[in-house]
Amino acid sequence: MKILFLTRRFIDGDNVSEYVKALAEKATEKGHKAVILAFEDNENYTVDQKVRVERVPLHYEGDSLYSWSMMLNNEMKERARKYLDKEDFDIVHANDWLTVPGATAVGKYFEKPIVLTVHSTENQRGFNDPNSEVISEMEWKGCKEADKILVNSEDTYNSLKHDLDVQDHKIKVLNPLADNWQDSVLNTYEDLLKTEDKLIGE
Amino acid sequence: MNKELRPLFITWEYPPYKAGGIAAHCEDLATTMASQGYSPVVITYGEKEEKEFRDGVEIHRVPANNSTNNTLTWAMALGDRMEKKALELTKKQSFDLVHAHDWMTVPAATGIKKTLGLDMVFTVHSTQQGRDGINSDYQQAIHNLEWMGTYEAEQVITVGREFCEEVKHLYEVPEDKINYIPNGVDLDKFDSHSASLQRDNYALDWEQIVLFVGRMYPQKGPGHLIEAMPHILEQKPEAKFIMCGSGATEHYKGIAKSQVGDKVHFPGYVSDEALIGLMKEAEMTVAPSVYEPFGIVPLEAAACETATVGSYTGGMKDTIVHEYTGLHTYPEDHGSITNQVTRALNDPSWADWLGDNARDRVEDNFRWEQITSWTTGVYTEAVT
Repeated sequence: MKILFLTRRFIDGDNVSEYVKALAEKATEKGHKAVILAFEDNENYTVDQKVRVERVPLHYEGDSLYSWSMMLNNEMKERARKYLDKEDFDIVHANDWLTVPGATAVGKYFEKPIVLTVHSTENQRGFNDPNSEVISEMEWKGCKEADKILVNSEDTYNSLKHDLDVQDHKIKVLNPLADNWQDSVLNTYEDLLKTEDKLIGE
Repeated sequence: MNKELRPLFITWEYPPYKAGGIAAHCEDLATTMASQGYSPVVITYGEKEEKEFRDGVEIHRVPANNSTNNTLTWAMALGDRMEKKALELTKKQSFDLVHAHDWMTVPAATGIKKTLGLDMVFTVHSTQQGRDGINSDYQQAIHNLEWMGTYEAEQVITVGREFCEEVKHLYEVPEDKINYIPNGVDLDKFDSHSASLQRDNYALDWEQIVLFVGRMYPQKGPGHLIEAMPHILEQKPEAKFIMCGSGATEHYKGIAKSQVGDKVHFPGYVSDEALIGLMKEAEMTVAPSVYEPFGIVPLEAAACETATVGSYTGGMKDTIVHEYTGLHTYPEDHGSITNQVTRALNDPSWADWLGDNARDRVEDNFRWEQITSWTTGVYTEAVT
Protein backbone atom coordinates (compact mmCIF):
# COMPACT_ATOMS: atom_id res chain seq x y z
CA MET A 1 0.00 0.00 0.00
CA LYS A 2 0.98 3.60 -0.53
CA ILE A 3 -0.31 6.00 2.06
CA LEU A 4 -0.31 9.79 1.86
CA PHE A 5 -0.47 11.41 5.30
CA LEU A 6 -1.49 15.05 5.75
CA THR A 7 -0.66 16.78 9.01
CA ARG A 8 -0.33 20.44 9.86
CA ARG A 9 2.95 20.03 11.74
CA PHE A 10 5.59 17.36 11.85
CA ILE A 11 7.91 17.97 14.76
CA ASP A 12 9.34 15.88 17.59
CA GLY A 13 7.22 15.84 20.72
CA ASP A 14 3.94 16.99 19.20
CA ASN A 15 1.14 14.48 19.82
CA VAL A 16 -0.31 14.47 16.31
CA SER A 17 3.19 14.36 14.78
CA GLU A 18 4.16 11.38 16.96
CA TYR A 19 0.94 9.63 15.97
CA VAL A 20 1.64 10.13 12.27
CA LYS A 21 5.29 9.19 12.69
CA ALA A 22 4.45 5.94 14.50
CA LEU A 23 1.95 5.00 11.81
CA ALA A 24 4.23 5.87 8.91
CA GLU A 25 7.16 3.97 10.41
CA LYS A 26 5.04 0.89 11.04
CA ALA A 27 3.72 1.06 7.47
CA THR A 28 7.22 1.16 5.97
CA GLU A 29 8.38 -1.57 8.36
CA LYS A 30 5.65 -3.76 6.90
CA GLY A 31 6.80 -3.01 3.36
CA HIS A 32 4.31 -0.27 2.53
CA LYS A 33 5.15 3.20 1.29
CA ALA A 34 4.47 6.30 3.41
CA VAL A 35 4.70 9.96 2.44
CA ILE A 36 3.98 12.74 4.92
CA LEU A 37 2.94 16.23 3.84
CA ALA A 38 3.41 18.89 6.52
CA PHE A 39 3.99 22.62 6.81
CA GLU A 40 7.58 23.77 6.35
CA ASP A 41 8.14 25.30 9.78
CA ASN A 42 11.88 24.55 10.04
CA GLU A 43 11.28 22.49 13.18
CA ASN A 44 13.27 19.37 14.00
CA TYR A 45 11.90 15.92 13.49
CA THR A 46 13.39 12.46 13.52
CA VAL A 47 11.86 9.66 11.51
CA ASP A 48 12.91 6.43 9.85
CA GLN A 49 14.62 7.10 6.52
CA LYS A 50 12.13 4.93 4.67
CA VAL A 51 9.43 7.46 5.45
CA ARG A 52 9.38 10.34 3.00
CA VAL A 53 8.59 13.72 4.51
CA GLU A 54 7.58 16.55 2.21
CA ARG A 55 7.60 20.03 3.68
CA VAL A 56 5.12 22.49 2.18
CA PRO A 57 6.01 26.19 2.48
CA LEU A 58 3.33 28.86 2.79
CA HIS A 59 3.91 32.57 2.28
CA TYR A 60 0.74 33.63 4.03
CA GLU A 61 0.12 34.31 7.71
CA GLY A 62 -3.58 35.15 7.73
CA ASP A 63 -5.40 36.63 10.69
CA SER A 64 -6.24 33.30 12.34
CA LEU A 65 -5.31 29.64 12.41
CA TYR A 66 -8.38 29.00 10.29
CA SER A 67 -7.45 31.33 7.42
CA TRP A 68 -3.81 30.23 7.58
CA SER A 69 -4.71 26.56 7.43
CA MET A 70 -7.10 27.07 4.51
CA MET A 71 -4.28 28.51 2.44
CA LEU A 72 -1.81 25.85 3.67
CA ASN A 73 -4.24 23.21 2.44
CA ASN A 74 -4.17 24.78 -1.03
CA GLU A 75 -0.41 24.26 -1.08
CA MET A 76 -0.87 20.68 0.10
CA LYS A 77 -3.34 20.04 -2.71
CA GLU A 78 -0.77 21.09 -5.29
CA ARG A 79 1.99 18.98 -3.76
CA ALA A 80 -0.31 15.98 -3.48
CA ARG A 81 -1.52 16.38 -7.06
CA LYS A 82 2.03 16.47 -8.36
CA TYR A 83 2.74 13.21 -6.50
CA LEU A 84 -0.41 11.59 -7.73
CA ASP A 85 0.38 12.61 -11.29
CA LYS A 86 3.69 10.72 -11.02
CA GLU A 87 2.84 7.73 -8.86
CA ASP A 88 -0.37 6.34 -7.54
CA PHE A 89 -1.45 6.31 -3.92
CA ASP A 90 -3.96 4.02 -2.27
CA ILE A 91 -5.04 5.95 0.80
CA VAL A 92 -5.17 9.61 1.86
CA HIS A 93 -4.98 9.94 5.64
CA ALA A 94 -5.88 13.35 7.13
CA ASN A 95 -5.37 14.46 10.71
CA ASP A 96 -7.90 16.79 12.33
CA TRP A 97 -9.84 19.59 10.64
CA LEU A 98 -6.58 21.33 9.79
CA THR A 99 -5.97 19.01 6.84
CA VAL A 100 -9.55 18.19 5.88
CA PRO A 101 -9.77 20.65 2.91
CA GLY A 102 -6.62 19.23 1.31
CA ALA A 103 -7.42 15.59 1.98
CA THR A 104 -11.01 15.79 0.76
CA ALA A 105 -10.11 17.74 -2.40
CA VAL A 106 -7.34 15.30 -3.32
CA GLY A 107 -9.25 12.21 -2.22
CA LYS A 108 -12.41 13.15 -4.10
CA TYR A 109 -10.69 14.38 -7.26
CA PHE A 110 -8.40 11.36 -7.56
CA GLU A 111 -11.04 9.01 -6.17
CA LYS A 112 -8.93 7.67 -3.31
CA PRO A 113 -10.33 6.44 0.00
CA ILE A 114 -9.99 9.00 2.78
CA VAL A 115 -9.16 8.11 6.37
CA LEU A 116 -9.53 10.89 8.92
CA THR A 117 -8.16 10.77 12.43
CA VAL A 118 -10.00 13.18 14.71
CA HIS A 119 -7.66 13.75 17.63
CA SER A 120 -10.23 15.99 19.31
CA THR A 121 -13.30 17.93 18.25
CA GLU A 122 -13.98 21.66 18.51
CA ASN A 123 -16.76 20.82 20.96
CA GLN A 124 -14.26 18.98 23.18
CA ARG A 125 -11.90 21.93 23.03
CA GLY A 126 -14.61 24.22 24.35
CA PHE A 127 -15.94 25.84 21.17
CA ASN A 128 -14.37 29.13 22.25
CA ASP A 129 -12.35 30.07 19.18
CA PRO A 130 -13.73 33.06 17.18
CA ASN A 131 -13.86 30.63 14.24
CA SER A 132 -15.35 27.68 16.13
CA GLU A 133 -18.40 27.59 13.85
CA VAL A 134 -16.40 27.12 10.66
CA ILE A 135 -13.88 24.81 12.33
CA SER A 136 -16.71 22.58 13.52
CA GLU A 137 -18.23 22.73 10.04
CA MET A 138 -14.89 21.57 8.64
CA GLU A 139 -14.89 18.65 11.09
CA TRP A 140 -18.40 17.80 9.99
CA LYS A 141 -17.35 17.96 6.34
CA GLY A 142 -14.29 15.77 7.03
CA CYS A 143 -16.44 13.15 8.75
CA LYS A 144 -18.96 13.23 5.93
CA GLU A 145 -16.36 12.83 3.19
CA ALA A 146 -14.10 10.33 5.00
CA ASP A 147 -14.53 6.65 4.33
CA LYS A 148 -13.30 5.78 7.81
CA ILE A 149 -12.82 7.92 10.91
CA LEU A 150 -10.35 7.01 13.63
CA VAL A 151 -10.53 8.44 17.13
CA ASN A 152 -8.20 7.96 20.09
CA SER A 153 -10.78 7.92 22.88
CA GLU A 154 -14.37 7.19 23.79
CA ASP A 155 -14.83 10.90 24.52
CA THR A 156 -14.03 11.85 20.94
CA TYR A 157 -16.19 8.96 19.71
CA ASN A 158 -19.13 10.34 21.70
CA SER A 159 -18.50 13.88 20.46
CA LEU A 160 -18.49 12.72 16.84
CA LYS A 161 -21.62 10.70 17.35
CA HIS A 162 -23.63 13.26 19.27
CA ASP A 163 -22.19 16.65 18.23
CA LEU A 164 -21.49 15.90 14.57
CA ASP A 165 -24.06 13.16 13.92
CA VAL A 166 -21.49 10.77 12.50
CA GLN A 167 -22.79 7.31 11.71
CA ASP A 168 -21.61 4.74 14.19
CA HIS A 169 -20.22 2.30 11.62
CA LYS A 170 -17.79 4.88 10.20
CA ILE A 171 -15.99 5.45 13.50
CA LYS A 172 -13.28 3.24 14.98
CA VAL A 173 -11.75 3.84 18.41
CA LEU A 174 -8.04 3.04 18.50
CA ASN A 175 -6.05 4.05 21.54
CA PRO A 176 -2.52 4.97 20.40
CA LEU A 177 -1.21 3.86 23.80
CA ALA A 178 -2.42 0.31 23.21
CA ASP A 179 -0.16 -2.43 21.88
CA ASN A 180 -0.08 -2.88 18.12
CA TRP A 181 -2.55 -0.08 17.47
CA GLN A 182 -0.69 0.73 14.26
CA ASP A 183 -1.43 -2.76 12.94
CA SER A 184 -5.11 -2.09 13.51
CA VAL A 185 -4.86 1.09 11.42
CA LEU A 186 -3.05 -0.79 8.64
CA ASN A 187 -5.78 -3.44 8.77
CA THR A 188 -8.33 -0.66 8.46
CA TYR A 189 -6.63 0.58 5.30
CA GLU A 190 -6.62 -2.91 3.85
CA ASP A 191 -10.27 -3.45 4.68
CA LEU A 192 -11.12 -0.16 2.98
CA LEU A 193 -9.22 -1.10 -0.15
CA LYS A 194 -10.89 -4.52 -0.23
CA THR A 195 -14.27 -2.80 -0.02
CA GLU A 196 -13.25 -0.45 -2.86
CA ASP A 197 -12.11 -3.40 -4.99
CA LYS A 198 -15.33 -5.18 -4.28
CA LEU A 199 -17.36 -2.13 -5.30
CA ILE A 200 -15.34 -1.73 -8.50
CA GLY A 201 -15.77 -5.46 -9.21
CA GLU A 202 -19.52 -5.16 -8.85
CA MET B 1 -7.98 32.29 -28.24
CA ASN B 2 -9.28 28.84 -29.05
CA LYS B 3 -13.03 29.08 -28.49
CA GLU B 4 -13.04 25.48 -27.30
CA LEU B 5 -11.27 26.73 -24.17
CA ARG B 6 -13.58 27.03 -21.23
CA PRO B 7 -12.92 29.58 -18.47
CA LEU B 8 -14.26 29.08 -14.96
CA PHE B 9 -15.23 32.42 -13.37
CA ILE B 10 -15.01 32.66 -9.58
CA THR B 11 -16.78 35.72 -8.21
CA TRP B 12 -18.47 36.31 -4.89
CA GLU B 13 -21.20 38.45 -6.51
CA TYR B 14 -23.10 37.88 -9.74
CA PRO B 15 -26.48 39.41 -10.67
CA PRO B 16 -29.09 39.50 -9.38
CA TYR B 17 -26.90 39.54 -6.24
CA LYS B 18 -24.72 42.61 -6.33
CA ALA B 19 -23.08 44.85 -3.78
CA GLY B 20 -20.48 46.60 -5.88
CA GLY B 21 -19.27 46.75 -9.46
CA ILE B 22 -17.81 43.23 -9.70
CA ALA B 23 -21.20 41.62 -10.32
CA ALA B 24 -21.99 43.77 -13.36
CA HIS B 25 -18.42 43.39 -14.64
CA CYS B 26 -18.56 39.60 -14.46
CA GLU B 27 -22.00 39.39 -16.00
CA ASP B 28 -21.14 41.68 -18.91
CA LEU B 29 -17.85 39.89 -19.54
CA ALA B 30 -19.30 36.37 -19.31
CA THR B 31 -22.34 37.24 -21.41
CA THR B 32 -20.24 38.86 -24.12
CA MET B 33 -17.89 35.87 -24.13
CA ALA B 34 -20.87 33.57 -24.57
CA SER B 35 -22.13 35.69 -27.47
CA GLN B 36 -18.71 35.35 -29.09
CA GLY B 37 -18.81 31.56 -28.91
CA TYR B 38 -17.00 30.83 -25.66
CA SER B 39 -18.52 28.74 -22.89
CA PRO B 40 -17.86 30.48 -19.59
CA VAL B 41 -19.04 28.84 -16.37
CA VAL B 42 -19.56 30.93 -13.24
CA ILE B 43 -19.36 29.78 -9.62
CA THR B 44 -20.64 32.40 -7.22
CA TYR B 45 -22.36 32.95 -3.89
CA GLY B 46 -26.07 32.33 -3.46
CA GLU B 47 -28.53 31.94 -0.62
CA LYS B 48 -28.99 28.32 -1.61
CA GLU B 49 -27.36 25.88 -3.98
CA GLU B 50 -28.77 26.33 -7.46
CA LYS B 51 -27.90 26.19 -11.14
CA GLU B 52 -29.06 28.54 -13.86
CA PHE B 53 -28.45 29.14 -17.58
CA ARG B 54 -28.77 32.79 -18.51
CA ASP B 55 -27.65 34.56 -21.69
CA GLY B 56 -25.46 31.61 -22.66
CA VAL B 57 -23.72 31.47 -19.29
CA GLU B 58 -23.88 28.50 -16.90
CA ILE B 59 -24.14 29.87 -13.34
CA HIS B 60 -23.70 27.80 -10.18
CA ARG B 61 -24.47 29.30 -6.80
CA VAL B 62 -23.25 27.94 -3.48
CA PRO B 63 -24.34 29.19 -0.06
CA ALA B 64 -21.90 30.55 2.51
CA ASN B 65 -21.57 29.98 6.23
CA ASN B 66 -22.97 33.24 7.59
CA SER B 67 -21.97 32.60 11.19
CA THR B 68 -18.35 33.58 10.52
CA ASN B 69 -16.78 36.34 12.58
CA ASN B 70 -15.42 38.41 9.69
CA THR B 71 -15.45 38.72 5.90
CA LEU B 72 -12.05 37.05 5.50
CA THR B 73 -13.24 33.91 7.27
CA TRP B 74 -16.49 34.09 5.32
CA ALA B 75 -14.54 34.18 2.06
CA MET B 76 -12.30 31.28 3.15
CA ALA B 77 -15.27 29.09 4.06
CA LEU B 78 -17.12 30.06 0.89
CA GLY B 79 -13.96 29.27 -1.07
CA ASP B 80 -13.94 25.72 0.25
CA ARG B 81 -17.53 25.24 -0.90
CA MET B 82 -16.81 26.83 -4.29
CA GLU B 83 -13.91 24.47 -4.80
CA LYS B 84 -16.08 21.51 -3.93
CA LYS B 85 -18.55 22.67 -6.58
CA ALA B 86 -15.75 23.05 -9.13
CA LEU B 87 -14.50 19.51 -8.43
CA GLU B 88 -18.04 18.23 -8.82
CA LEU B 89 -18.38 20.00 -12.20
CA THR B 90 -15.08 18.58 -13.47
CA LYS B 91 -16.57 15.09 -13.32
CA LYS B 92 -18.71 16.12 -16.30
CA GLN B 93 -16.78 18.92 -18.03
CA SER B 94 -13.25 20.22 -18.13
CA PHE B 95 -11.98 23.75 -17.59
CA ASP B 96 -8.91 25.32 -19.08
CA LEU B 97 -8.36 28.16 -16.66
CA VAL B 98 -9.80 29.73 -13.57
CA HIS B 99 -10.53 33.48 -13.58
CA ALA B 100 -10.78 35.02 -10.10
CA HIS B 101 -12.17 38.46 -9.28
CA ASP B 102 -10.75 40.30 -6.26
CA TRP B 103 -9.32 38.99 -2.99
CA MET B 104 -12.46 37.29 -1.77
CA THR B 105 -12.11 34.62 -4.43
CA VAL B 106 -8.37 34.01 -4.04
CA PRO B 107 -8.81 31.08 -1.58
CA ALA B 108 -11.24 29.31 -3.94
CA ALA B 109 -9.34 30.08 -7.14
CA THR B 110 -5.94 29.03 -5.82
CA GLY B 111 -7.46 25.86 -4.38
CA ILE B 112 -9.04 25.00 -7.73
CA LYS B 113 -5.85 25.89 -9.60
CA LYS B 114 -3.74 23.68 -7.37
CA THR B 115 -6.06 20.69 -7.20
CA LEU B 116 -6.89 20.63 -10.90
CA GLY B 117 -3.59 21.95 -12.21
CA LEU B 118 -5.25 24.84 -14.07
CA ASP B 119 -3.79 28.17 -15.09
CA MET B 120 -5.20 31.21 -13.31
CA VAL B 121 -6.10 34.76 -14.28
CA PHE B 122 -6.73 37.26 -11.48
CA THR B 123 -8.57 40.54 -11.99
CA VAL B 124 -7.83 43.14 -9.31
CA HIS B 125 -10.74 45.58 -9.01
CA SER B 126 -9.37 47.48 -6.00
CA THR B 127 -6.75 47.05 -3.28
CA GLN B 128 -6.95 46.88 0.50
CA GLN B 129 -4.48 49.73 0.72
CA GLY B 130 -6.69 51.91 -1.45
CA ARG B 131 -9.97 50.94 0.20
CA ASP B 132 -9.18 51.60 3.84
CA GLY B 133 -5.49 51.02 4.41
CA ILE B 134 -3.33 48.33 5.99
CA ASN B 135 -3.38 49.25 9.66
CA SER B 136 -4.44 46.03 11.40
CA ASP B 137 -3.61 42.32 11.26
CA TYR B 138 -6.94 41.76 9.58
CA GLN B 139 -6.24 44.34 6.86
CA GLN B 140 -2.74 42.92 6.46
CA ALA B 141 -4.21 39.44 5.98
CA ILE B 142 -6.44 40.74 3.16
CA HIS B 143 -3.53 42.62 1.62
CA ASN B 144 -1.47 39.41 1.72
CA LEU B 145 -4.28 37.50 0.07
CA GLU B 146 -4.31 40.06 -2.75
CA TRP B 147 -0.58 39.56 -3.09
CA MET B 148 -1.07 35.80 -3.22
CA GLY B 149 -3.63 36.22 -5.99
CA THR B 150 -1.17 38.19 -8.10
CA TYR B 151 1.62 35.71 -7.24
CA GLU B 152 -0.33 32.59 -8.14
CA ALA B 153 -1.96 33.96 -11.28
CA GLU B 154 -0.28 33.37 -14.62
CA GLN B 155 -1.74 36.70 -15.75
CA VAL B 156 -3.12 39.65 -13.77
CA ILE B 157 -5.72 42.12 -15.07
CA THR B 158 -6.26 45.56 -13.56
CA VAL B 159 -9.17 47.81 -14.47
CA GLY B 160 -7.41 51.19 -14.51
CA ARG B 161 -4.28 52.53 -16.18
CA GLU B 162 -2.97 54.32 -13.09
CA PHE B 163 -4.28 51.49 -10.94
CA CYS B 164 -2.20 49.07 -13.01
CA GLU B 165 0.94 50.87 -11.86
CA GLU B 166 -0.31 50.83 -8.26
CA VAL B 167 -0.87 47.06 -8.36
CA LYS B 168 2.44 46.43 -10.12
CA HIS B 169 4.44 48.26 -7.46
CA LEU B 170 2.37 47.26 -4.44
CA TYR B 171 2.63 43.52 -5.15
CA GLU B 172 5.82 43.54 -7.20
CA VAL B 173 4.07 41.97 -10.18
CA PRO B 174 6.41 41.28 -13.12
CA GLU B 175 5.83 43.50 -16.12
CA ASP B 176 5.09 40.59 -18.44
CA LYS B 177 2.14 39.28 -16.44
CA ILE B 178 0.20 42.44 -15.67
CA ASN B 179 -2.38 43.97 -18.00
CA TYR B 180 -4.64 47.00 -18.07
CA ILE B 181 -8.11 46.30 -19.44
CA PRO B 182 -10.79 48.87 -18.61
CA ASN B 183 -14.33 48.14 -17.59
CA GLY B 184 -16.98 48.52 -20.24
CA VAL B 185 -20.58 49.50 -20.67
CA ASP B 186 -23.40 47.49 -22.18
CA LEU B 187 -24.82 50.22 -24.41
CA ASP B 188 -27.82 48.09 -25.42
CA LYS B 189 -28.97 48.09 -21.81
CA PHE B 190 -29.06 51.88 -21.80
CA ASP B 191 -30.45 52.26 -25.31
CA SER B 192 -33.28 49.82 -24.77
CA HIS B 193 -34.33 51.49 -21.53
CA SER B 194 -37.81 52.91 -22.08
CA ALA B 195 -39.35 53.24 -18.64
CA SER B 196 -40.36 56.82 -18.02
CA LEU B 197 -39.00 58.37 -14.84
CA GLN B 198 -41.41 59.63 -12.22
CA ARG B 199 -39.47 62.90 -12.09
CA ASP B 200 -41.85 64.34 -9.51
CA ASN B 201 -40.51 61.80 -7.03
CA TYR B 202 -37.09 63.42 -7.22
CA ALA B 203 -37.28 67.09 -8.23
CA LEU B 204 -39.61 69.93 -9.16
CA ASP B 205 -40.09 70.81 -12.83
CA TRP B 206 -37.83 73.85 -12.73
CA GLU B 207 -35.01 72.16 -10.80
CA GLN B 208 -31.79 70.89 -12.41
CA ILE B 209 -30.81 67.42 -11.19
CA VAL B 210 -27.23 66.94 -9.99
CA LEU B 211 -26.83 63.20 -9.47
CA PHE B 212 -24.50 61.22 -7.19
CA VAL B 213 -24.40 57.44 -7.62
CA GLY B 214 -22.32 55.25 -5.33
CA ARG B 215 -21.98 53.60 -1.96
CA MET B 216 -22.13 56.14 0.85
CA TYR B 217 -18.61 55.66 2.13
CA PRO B 218 -15.68 58.08 2.44
CA GLN B 219 -13.90 56.38 -0.49
CA LYS B 220 -16.67 57.63 -2.81
CA GLY B 221 -16.47 61.15 -1.38
CA PRO B 222 -20.15 62.02 -0.78
CA GLY B 223 -19.06 64.30 2.07
CA HIS B 224 -17.11 66.54 -0.30
CA LEU B 225 -20.13 67.02 -2.54
CA ILE B 226 -22.27 67.76 0.53
CA GLU B 227 -19.76 70.42 1.59
CA ALA B 228 -20.07 72.00 -1.87
CA MET B 229 -23.89 71.98 -1.95
CA PRO B 230 -24.58 75.30 -0.12
CA HIS B 231 -21.99 77.08 -2.26
CA ILE B 232 -23.47 75.71 -5.49
CA LEU B 233 -26.96 76.70 -4.37
CA GLU B 234 -25.81 80.26 -3.67
CA GLN B 235 -25.07 80.61 -7.39
CA LYS B 236 -27.58 78.13 -8.81
CA PRO B 237 -30.69 77.81 -6.63
CA GLU B 238 -32.22 75.63 -9.38
CA ALA B 239 -29.87 72.78 -8.46
CA LYS B 240 -31.39 69.69 -6.82
CA PHE B 241 -29.02 67.03 -5.48
CA ILE B 242 -30.08 63.39 -5.75
CA MET B 243 -27.85 61.03 -3.77
CA CYS B 244 -28.39 57.41 -4.86
CA GLY B 245 -26.73 54.48 -3.13
CA SER B 246 -26.66 52.35 -0.01
CA GLY B 247 -24.14 52.38 2.85
CA ALA B 248 -23.92 55.00 5.57
CA THR B 249 -26.90 56.82 4.05
CA GLU B 250 -28.41 58.08 7.30
CA HIS B 251 -25.11 59.60 8.36
CA TYR B 252 -24.68 61.60 5.16
CA LYS B 253 -28.38 62.38 4.91
CA GLY B 254 -28.32 63.99 8.36
CA ILE B 255 -25.40 66.21 7.43
CA ALA B 256 -26.77 67.18 4.01
CA LYS B 257 -30.28 67.93 5.26
CA SER B 258 -28.88 70.21 7.96
CA GLN B 259 -26.99 72.12 5.27
CA VAL B 260 -29.46 72.43 2.39
CA GLY B 261 -32.79 70.97 3.58
CA ASP B 262 -35.12 69.91 0.77
CA LYS B 263 -32.58 70.69 -1.94
CA VAL B 264 -31.12 67.23 -1.40
CA HIS B 265 -32.88 63.88 -1.66
CA PHE B 266 -31.59 60.43 -0.63
CA PRO B 267 -33.67 57.73 -2.36
CA GLY B 268 -31.34 54.95 -1.12
CA TYR B 269 -30.53 52.07 -3.44
CA VAL B 270 -32.58 52.51 -6.62
CA SER B 271 -33.41 49.96 -9.32
CA ASP B 272 -31.47 49.88 -12.59
CA GLU B 273 -34.56 51.14 -14.40
CA ALA B 274 -34.91 54.19 -12.16
CA LEU B 275 -31.18 54.80 -12.14
CA ILE B 276 -30.91 54.91 -15.92
CA GLY B 277 -33.93 57.20 -15.99
CA LEU B 278 -32.24 59.51 -13.50
CA MET B 279 -28.98 59.49 -15.42
CA LYS B 280 -30.79 60.46 -18.60
CA GLU B 281 -32.69 63.20 -16.81
CA ALA B 282 -29.78 64.65 -14.83
CA GLU B 283 -27.83 67.72 -15.90
CA MET B 284 -24.72 65.86 -14.81
CA THR B 285 -23.47 63.16 -12.49
CA VAL B 286 -20.90 64.02 -9.85
CA ALA B 287 -18.25 61.48 -8.82
CA PRO B 288 -16.25 63.08 -5.97
CA SER B 289 -14.30 59.86 -5.21
CA VAL B 290 -11.16 59.94 -3.08
CA TYR B 291 -10.00 56.51 -4.34
CA GLU B 292 -11.34 55.03 -7.57
CA PRO B 293 -9.40 52.28 -9.38
CA PHE B 294 -11.78 52.56 -12.32
CA GLY B 295 -15.16 54.13 -11.57
CA ILE B 296 -18.00 52.93 -13.75
CA VAL B 297 -20.34 55.90 -13.12
CA PRO B 298 -18.79 58.24 -15.75
CA LEU B 299 -19.23 55.54 -18.41
CA GLU B 300 -22.80 54.73 -17.44
CA ALA B 301 -23.64 58.42 -17.44
CA ALA B 302 -21.94 58.76 -20.82
CA ALA B 303 -24.09 55.94 -22.17
CA CYS B 304 -27.03 58.19 -21.19
CA GLU B 305 -25.40 61.17 -22.93
CA THR B 306 -24.79 62.81 -19.58
CA ALA B 307 -21.47 64.37 -18.60
CA THR B 308 -19.69 63.65 -15.31
CA VAL B 309 -17.93 66.02 -12.96
CA GLY B 310 -15.38 63.70 -11.34
CA SER B 311 -12.23 63.76 -9.24
CA TYR B 312 -8.94 63.69 -11.08
CA THR B 313 -7.95 60.35 -9.57
CA GLY B 314 -7.44 56.73 -10.63
CA GLY B 315 -9.56 55.52 -13.51
CA MET B 316 -11.40 58.80 -13.89
CA LYS B 317 -8.23 60.34 -15.28
CA ASP B 318 -8.98 58.16 -18.33
CA THR B 319 -12.75 57.92 -18.35
CA ILE B 320 -13.29 61.70 -18.23
CA VAL B 321 -11.63 64.06 -20.71
CA HIS B 322 -11.69 67.49 -19.11
CA GLU B 323 -13.85 70.00 -20.97
CA TYR B 324 -14.57 67.42 -23.69
CA THR B 325 -16.57 64.58 -22.06
CA GLY B 326 -16.91 66.03 -18.58
CA LEU B 327 -15.07 68.07 -15.99
CA HIS B 328 -12.31 67.16 -13.57
CA THR B 329 -12.12 68.42 -10.01
CA TYR B 330 -9.30 68.29 -7.50
CA PRO B 331 -9.89 65.30 -5.18
CA GLU B 332 -11.22 66.13 -1.70
CA ASP B 333 -11.75 69.78 -2.67
CA HIS B 334 -15.30 71.09 -2.26
CA GLY B 335 -14.31 74.45 -3.78
CA SER B 336 -13.24 72.71 -6.97
CA ILE B 337 -16.49 70.72 -7.04
CA THR B 338 -18.45 73.96 -6.57
CA ASN B 339 -16.68 75.64 -9.47
CA GLN B 340 -17.05 72.82 -11.96
CA VAL B 341 -20.65 71.90 -11.13
CA THR B 342 -21.65 75.58 -11.36
CA ARG B 343 -19.88 75.97 -14.72
CA ALA B 344 -21.91 73.12 -16.19
CA LEU B 345 -25.19 74.29 -14.64
CA ASN B 346 -24.63 77.81 -15.98
CA ASP B 347 -24.39 76.56 -19.55
CA PRO B 348 -26.80 73.65 -20.16
CA SER B 349 -26.10 73.52 -23.90
CA TRP B 350 -22.40 73.14 -23.19
CA ALA B 351 -23.20 70.38 -20.66
CA ASP B 352 -25.26 68.66 -23.37
CA TRP B 353 -22.32 68.94 -25.76
CA LEU B 354 -20.05 67.33 -23.16
CA GLY B 355 -22.59 64.53 -22.70
CA ASP B 356 -22.79 63.89 -26.46
CA ASN B 357 -19.01 63.68 -26.68
CA ALA B 358 -18.93 61.32 -23.69
CA ARG B 359 -21.35 59.00 -25.46
CA ASP B 360 -19.28 59.02 -28.66
CA ARG B 361 -16.13 58.23 -26.71
CA VAL B 362 -17.76 55.31 -24.89
CA GLU B 363 -18.93 53.88 -28.20
CA ASP B 364 -15.39 54.07 -29.54
CA ASN B 365 -13.41 52.88 -26.50
CA PHE B 366 -15.42 51.07 -23.84
CA ARG B 367 -17.52 48.43 -25.58
CA TRP B 368 -17.64 44.98 -23.99
CA GLU B 369 -16.96 43.34 -27.36
CA GLN B 370 -13.54 44.99 -27.42
CA ILE B 371 -12.86 44.40 -23.73
CA THR B 372 -13.77 40.73 -24.09
CA SER B 373 -11.33 40.33 -26.97
CA TRP B 374 -8.57 41.82 -24.84
CA THR B 375 -9.51 39.50 -21.98
CA THR B 376 -9.47 36.35 -24.10
CA GLY B 377 -6.09 37.53 -25.40
CA VAL B 378 -4.89 37.49 -21.80
CA TYR B 379 -6.32 33.98 -21.43
CA THR B 380 -4.18 32.87 -24.36
CA GLU B 381 -1.12 34.33 -22.64
CA ALA B 382 -2.06 32.54 -19.42
CA VAL B 383 -2.42 29.06 -20.91
CA THR B 384 0.67 29.16 -23.14
